[in-house]
Amino acid sequence: MIDVKNISKTFISHSTEVKALVNVTARINPGEVVVVLGPSGSGKSTFIRCLNYLNVADEGSITIDGIDILDPNTDINKVRAEVGMVFQSFNLFPHKTVLENVTLAPIVVRKKSKEEAKKKGMALLEKVGIQDKANVYPDQLSGGQQQRVAIARALAMEPKIMLFDEPTSALDPEMVGEVLDVMKNLAREGMTMVVVTHEMGFAREVADRVIFMDEGAIVEVGTPEHFFKNPTHERTKLFLSQIL
Amino acid sequence: MDFSLILRRFKTSSSYYISIGIFIMLVIGIASSLYYSALKIDYVWRWFRIPQYFVYQDQVEIRAQIEGEIESILIKDNKAVIGIKSDEEIEVHTVPISDIRVDEGDLISPGDILATYKKWRVGILMQGLWLTLKVSIIAIVFGILIGLFAGIARISSNPALKWSAITYIEFIRGSPLLVQIFIWYFVLGTLINNILAKKGIGQISPLWFGVAALACFAGAYVAEMVRAGIQSIHFGQIEAANSLGMTYIQSMRYIILPQALRRILPPLAGQFISLIKDSSLLGLIAIRELTKATREVITTSLQPFELWFVCAILYLVLTFSLSMFVQYLERRTQVT
Ligand SMILES: Nc1ncnc2c1ncn2[C@@H]1O[C@H](COP(=O)(O)OP(=O)(O)OP(=O)(O)O)[C@@H](O)[C@H]1O
Ligand SMILES: [Mg+2]
Repeated sequence: MIDVKNISKTFISHSTEVKALVNVTARINPGEVVVVLGPSGSGKSTFIRCLNYLNVADEGSITIDGIDILDPNTDINKVRAEVGMVFQSFNLFPHKTVLENVTLAPIVVRKKSKEEAKKKGMALLEKVGIQDKANVYPDQLSGGQQQRVAIARALAMEPKIMLFDEPTSALDPEMVGEVLDVMKNLAREGMTMVVVTHEMGFAREVADRVIFMDEGAIVEVGTPEHFFKNPTHERTKLFLSQIL
Repeated sequence: MDFSLILRRFKTSSSYYISIGIFIMLVIGIASSLYYSALKIDYVWRWFRIPQYFVYQDQVEIRAQIEGEIESILIKDNKAVIGIKSDEEIEVHTVPISDIRVDEGDLISPGDILATYKKWRVGILMQGLWLTLKVSIIAIVFGILIGLFAGIARISSNPALKWSAITYIEFIRGSPLLVQIFIWYFVLGTLINNILAKKGIGQISPLWFGVAALACFAGAYVAEMVRAGIQSIHFGQIEAANSLGMTYIQSMRYIILPQALRRILPPLAGQFISLIKDSSLLGLIAIRELTKATREVITTSLQPFELWFVCAILYLVLTFSLSMFVQYLERRTQVT
């Protein structure tokens, strides 16, 4: 489904080079839930953002559903419509109601009728448990509710893949559970997911595979059992000893 | 410090009422000193003469065109049909019955008054006010369009767009509006109208060069506001829109601009209030807007004191209405 081959990404900020990704290769199969772990600054966000072209890899190739997204002839918006993204800071549209947040892209991008988009939107809001807030504006919602709306908004495009970049890191602890529950349900339904998170419980319970990154490179890949019980690399062991 | 608390305490204290008293005294003082200095130079205030420059009743005279005899006057629903018969022809006039000056059998020469009636007409000041309003509204609409386009071009990554926008904005903001109006009228206007004349097409009236000058002037300032407004929107908004597959134009239209415009509404209103006031300069290129109309009325009425105050108040009415309208917009578009 997603095939990443030897991508690298270097940022230049204040005339110093930061190697955010170094020769990263990975494969995400249909229906798989892949959790990306790693210390701060290890390139997790850059990796996941490269997958929908929010960051542009300097070299290598990324193929999604057979489409080479780094090819200049590719219509990236078509690819993005199939790849949902959930951000750490929700990024809901503050001038639109909850329902409008969810229906806007289907109407504008997918050219769905308003009624159809509304029907689907309400169903999705029900799925994430906030149908009663459909007509309020995002800033009247708690962080957990906002993030659930953001998930519904991404799902409204009927994506084939969902990307999550630390979806619970900006939430108060008591709201983390409600968002993770929504994500677990999604995983159970067979959604292909790439999740950057610090929630080890989620990784253990839901992940099919764990990718561990450090200093812009993938250090170790494996099943959660393998990863948490007997990691092979020193850096993985160090990381786990620090957070567990 | 809680400012509203200080204000509330101030409102209940006696110094609050003393201050209000001082304010009223000040207003009365200025008005009366104006009045008495006018008396000193024997200026006679004649406010009653002013309303006629807004609307007035005009006497319309209906005159015969041929020589002959009034053959008949038929009254029919408030109208009279007067028939004049000469040797060769018959002339018929339909007139209001209020003031008929002829009788059946009268002999009439061409130019004789048959009847008169009174008709309400719009005075010069009202015409000027209307023209100022019209010029301002058109210039505001085009100013917004130009400003939106130039503002977006200003932050474009395309150097052609970006540098054109910067040149336009800097040129407009760096030179006086009056000079720009003259350039539009005396330079571009002359060029365009001469070319049109050579091609045998009709001329463009000064009004449109005036509107163009105001719209381009406001557009440059609006562009800077639009730029700042767009840049004030959190980058995550664009990323969210992009990640949903929206194109640049879609994310601008549905996500960025609605938020940016809401944010720049107050400075935008200030700019358009300036535009209304600046339209007074258009009198210098023969557009009879409010200020020029006022000057014309003064040359015939010789009541400059009253008229300049009236003129100022009329501008105030326009600008105040605009700021009320913007406040209404702000309230309506506010996300709670
Ligand atoms: N837009 C950017 N400009 C310059 N440097 C950047 C940019 N984005 C990321 N970086 C740098 O690239 C490196 C990797 O960043 P990235 O955000 O991918 O890390 P991360 O693993 O997501 O970290 P965190 O857990 O803190 O989110 C960091 O050193 C970061 O400072
Ligand atoms: Mg990150």
